[in-house]
Amino acid sequence: MSSAQATAEVINLSEGELDLVNEIRELGGEELLECIQCAKCAAACPMVLAGFPFFNKRVIQAILLGLRETLLDDSSIWACQSCNRCTEVCPRKVNPFEIVQAMRRVAVREFALPTLSIEGIKSLYDTGHAVYLADAWQSREKVGLPKTPPSTVAYPQALKDLQALMRKTALADLGIIPMGEAGVTDTCEV
Amino acid sequence: MPRIGVYICHCGENIAGAVNIEEVRKYAEKLPGVAVARDYLFMCSDPGQDLIKQDIKDGVVDRVVVAACTPRTHEPIFRKAAEDGGLNKYLLEMANIRDQDSWAHWHDKEGATAKAKRLIASAVAKAALLEPLQDRFVEVTKSSLVIGGGVSGMFAALDLANAGYKVYLVEKNPSIGGNMAKLDKTFPTNDCSACILTPVMVQVGTHPNIELLCYSEVESVEGSIGNFKVKVRKKQTYVDWDKCTGCGDCVEACPAKVPNEFNEGMDKRKAIYIQFPQAVPKKAVLDIEHCINCAKRTIGTEPRIHSKTGEPILAFCEKACKTGACDRTRAWNPEGELLELNVGTIIVAAGYKAMDKTPFKEYSPQSPNVVTAMQLERILSATGPTEGELKRPSDGEKPKTIAFISCVGSRDKNYHTYCSKVCCMYMLKEARLIKEKYPDTNVYIFFIDVRTGGKDFEEYYDYCRDLGIKIIRGRVGGVDELAGDRLRVRAYDVDLGNPVELEADLVVLATAIEPAPGLEELGRKLGITCGSEGFLKELHTKLYPVETSVKGIYIAGCAQGPKDIPESVSQARAASSAAAVPLTLGKVVVEPLISEVDQDKCSGCGICVPLCPYSAISLVPRDDKLRAKIDEALCAGCGVCAAACPSAAITLHGFTSAQIHAQIEALTAGIGGGASV
Amino acid sequence: MKVGFFVGCNTSFNRPDLEQAVRYAYPALGVELDDLEGQSCCPSWGTMPSIDLVGWCVLGARNYTIAEEKGLDMITVCGSCYGSLAESKYKMDTRPEVKARVNELLKEIGKEYKGTSRIRHAVCYLYKEVGPEKIKEALKHKLDGLTIAVQPGCHSLWPSEVYVDKEEDPFHPKVLREMCEALGASAPYYSRLIDCCGMGAMRSTDMEKSFKLVLRKLESMKEEINPDLIVTGCSSCLIQFDTAQEFLRKDRKINFEIPALHYMQLLALCLGADPQQVTGLAKTDVSRVVNRILEG
Repeated sequence: MSSAQATAEVINLSEGELDLVNEIRELGGEELLECIQCAKCAAACPMVLAGFPFFNKRVIQAILLGLRETLLDDSSIWACQSCNRCTEVCPRKVNPFEIVQAMRRVAVREFALPTLSIEGIKSLYDTGHAVYLADAWQSREKVGLPKTPPSTVAYPQALKDLQALMRKTALADLGIIPMGEAGVTDTCEV
Repeated sequence: MPRIGVYICHCGENIAGAVNIEEVRKYAEKLPGVAVARDYLFMCSDPGQDLIKQDIKDGVVDRVVVAACTPRTHEPIFRKAAEDGGLNKYLLEMANIRDQDSWAHWHDKEGATAKAKRLIASAVAKAALLEPLQDRFVEVTKSSLVIGGGVSGMFAALDLANAGYKVYLVEKNPSIGGNMAKLDKTFPTNDCSACILTPVMVQVGTHPNIELLCYSEVESVEGSIGNFKVKVRKKQTYVDWDKCTGCGDCVEACPAKVPNEFNEGMDKRKAIYIQFPQAVPKKAVLDIEHCINCAKRTIGTEPRIHSKTGEPILAFCEKACKTGACDRTRAWNPEGELLELNVGTIIVAAGYKAMDKTPFKEYSPQSPNVVTAMQLERILSATGPTEGELKRPSDGEKPKTIAFISCVGSRDKNYHTYCSKVCCMYMLKEARLIKEKYPDTNVYIFFIDVRTGGKDFEEYYDYCRDLGIKIIRGRVGGVDELAGDRLRVRAYDVDLGNPVELEADLVVLATAIEPAPGLEELGRKLGITCGSEGFLKELHTKLYPVETSVKGIYIAGCAQGPKDIPESVSQARAASSAAAVPLTLGKVVVEPLISEVDQDKCSGCGICVPLCPYSAISLVPRDDKLRAKIDEALCAGCGVCAAACPSAAITLHGFTSAQIHAQIEALTAGIGGGASV
Repeated sequence: MKVGFFVGCNTSFNRPDLEQAVRYAYPALGVELDDLEGQSCCPSWGTMPSIDLVGWCVLGARNYTIAEEKGLDMITVCGSCYGSLAESKYKMDTRPEVKARVNELLKEIGKEYKGTSRIRHAVCYLYKEVGPEKIKEALKHKLDGLTIAVQPGCHSLWPSEVYVDKEEDPFHPKVLREMCEALGASAPYYSRLIDCCGMGAMRSTDMEKSFKLVLRKLESMKEEINPDLIVTGCSSCLIQFDTAQEFLRKDRKINFEIPALHYMQLLALCLGADPQQVTGLAKTDVSRVVNRILEG
């Protein structure tokens, strides 16, 4: 049996927050209420096979019941591969992936996101790349390529543009990462 | 000056819950022409109606406005009340402050109250201009048309025929029987489908009052209740049915093979074929599109003569036919024959189609061992491709493990959002038949929800579980092909809370029941609409379930929505009894709400003539000039001509220009400037 | 023929040999590559897409504007880039309110997203625009007798609605198989062909769980078709198959190693590229396969 069932604790439904549904719908999970819990998404989900306790179907049910704390206490949503096979097979056009994504957005607003994600976001802001290896120039040279790819790391104005844009997004209000006008920093391995 | 009475209904809490009745009543009282305004808990009840009758009798009112629910169901009731009070019944107007107001704005009491005032003001404005009108009566042609020869159509036809009326039964296939003829056994009693259906088919085929028009389709419908004129296209069979004895010799001889529709494409039929062994009528049909014209015998040509024997060189079918029914020399008209029928009423029982497996790519439909439930019916049937032996299509082996997948194309926004209603039960039935005949077979059914709400259905479900059929809650996400033509079914078992996989030899898709191809077009010909899901729409879900928006046309069976055999038959017999009423009365009342041409104003321009959907208008000479004339019997009162007439020469009684203008003025008073209502 | 090369983070920094393979193979087949100077992360799923819809789209849009200004489509060898860019574009193109908000932000840096450039899958692009027949003609080495297990990658399949290059039947993809066959290999079906490899957010969150998925795939490949080589259509899948096997062997979950390459690497080899340059960073031992190719 998967760890999905390992939750032995009783969930108190009366503590459900009814406005979680609206929050999710506003943050990109517009089709949430179309879900009939048929479990076809779960049947197609890699997270289920890997054994994560919360995945598309269960995330949606928990949202419908307003179980904000239950969801925030668990990091499963951050393991979603964004593979979108659920979106492909969902017979109700719920876009389960978008619901998981919207739940991540809720979590981010409560600062409930894993360190790795924060690092990725910081790296994105600082270098223009969520994945950036400062010493990659060695392997690049080894295979006969210039030290840097033709990206924001080689074009400072492009990086400035990117940072200016990021400062205009919701990220700026959340205070997750410092958002100064930096250049390319040393390393940020994700 | 008219004396208008306004009667406002609370409809229990339905209206009063959102509309401030007393405020509206006081407002109505002061409207121009209103003599009295009253309210009551249920205006349609006896005491409510008495209020109206009494006011008329007392001479207090001579026009009536009822502000209540929908005229669709309640106008006849209030018209009768007005008539009983001694008033012409067309001096009544209704304001629908329930469906159009309180139900729509239940959360906004102030707004709902304001809207109720406007709707009533509008009805009062029209009521002031109402004129007394007289009902018309038309004679009824005492015959009926039934479209569709499945179990619904057959029972509808039999009931009318047994009541003594002539019935034309039109079926598009060569034989009657419909989808039910394909089924093996039927839930919840597991009677053999053929055993209970064949005798009915024979009765229909031999009934003196039933004229069977098989291999035929309705081409056009004109007229209205009592007098429909229907054109029916009898498709060309290329076989003389008067001579054909259904012996099957031609079929035996024919070399051209075509996928067999009756066996859901799992084997082949011939180009010349008898639809199935129990066909009624048992006659051969030549499928000209797949005929290979052997011996170069193109239809309508003389045979070549054998150079040595001097004998004509014939095609295999005509050579085999002992009665001369297959005569390829004859100049058969490819268009078939066009028949014209006159009928008083029509029943539409055009049936359904079970979806094909091909759209469901995630279930590997390219595997021969993925079949639809209808295909499994044919496999299980003694008249099917395996003669009732359970064999999987890839190699004829008996499957050891079978998986059923529910809701394939149903409850699915990509295909059909409705529940097909019969799949849960037919899956259980097929699983049970297999388990009873082959107890060592492993049978799994993957459901979303098990829906077995019907008489004796839950007991049937219990029994299936007792047999060891495994029920898994969780819609299947995918089917992978494995070596040896086996299949892997992947699901999430909701009850276990675990992903599950099952290796199966046969996967059965419970595909959705969908409207028969062409149903929407048929509906258009008949003037009846389809709902968003594509099935024909009944007049009222609860109270008029077999009537349609067109008087004299009734519906039955799966053309109205997915249903099982008991329901289909019940609805068919209900439809036949409704369709018999006008035939029995012999004449029907037609409302006088029809159009009339003012011959002095008409310029004879003829614009109205082609616009009339009922072909009721013609140009006739008057004082040496052509003038429009409307046939009262054909006019349905749609008002298109009145709206289009450039000379304003056409009046639609009950909806005159003056009446409509008065209504619009009252509705819009104060909007865009002036005082609000 | 000219197309923009959207390199992406993993290819730039983790597998530049794959980048080099693209830079070799595309021109060799007559398709000129443009560098799309100033490109950034697509952005990847765990960053802006997890924070805000418009923030996701605007970063994608900035990348698109670079290609739009040059009048080019873009190609990528990374599934995540393909998915993220295709989905953000789909949202902007089908929801005018999203596009309007994105363009409001882009004004800040003097740019506008028009929607005229598209993201293309590097393998599918060649399949459609060059075609297997022309590729066959250009080959210097053939793979006769080689059995390949293909791994198209989730993001080349779903959601099929958003992609320019889509499989006729995403549940039974054939492009990568046919492209391998064009090189002379056989690329048979195996029953977990469309399954996820476990790379990505899952591996960052819980490596052990992520390896359960790659193990299931490896077992299915090994048992059903016993391949000489795994060929992916996605740089993330490549990294998973290239690095996970060592862990699984140490854990005694498997007792074999199947070398793994991205299709573009295999293609570059067959077109005559220097093996060091286009496969030099592989962790699995690709030398035997490479030698066999060079002999072919």
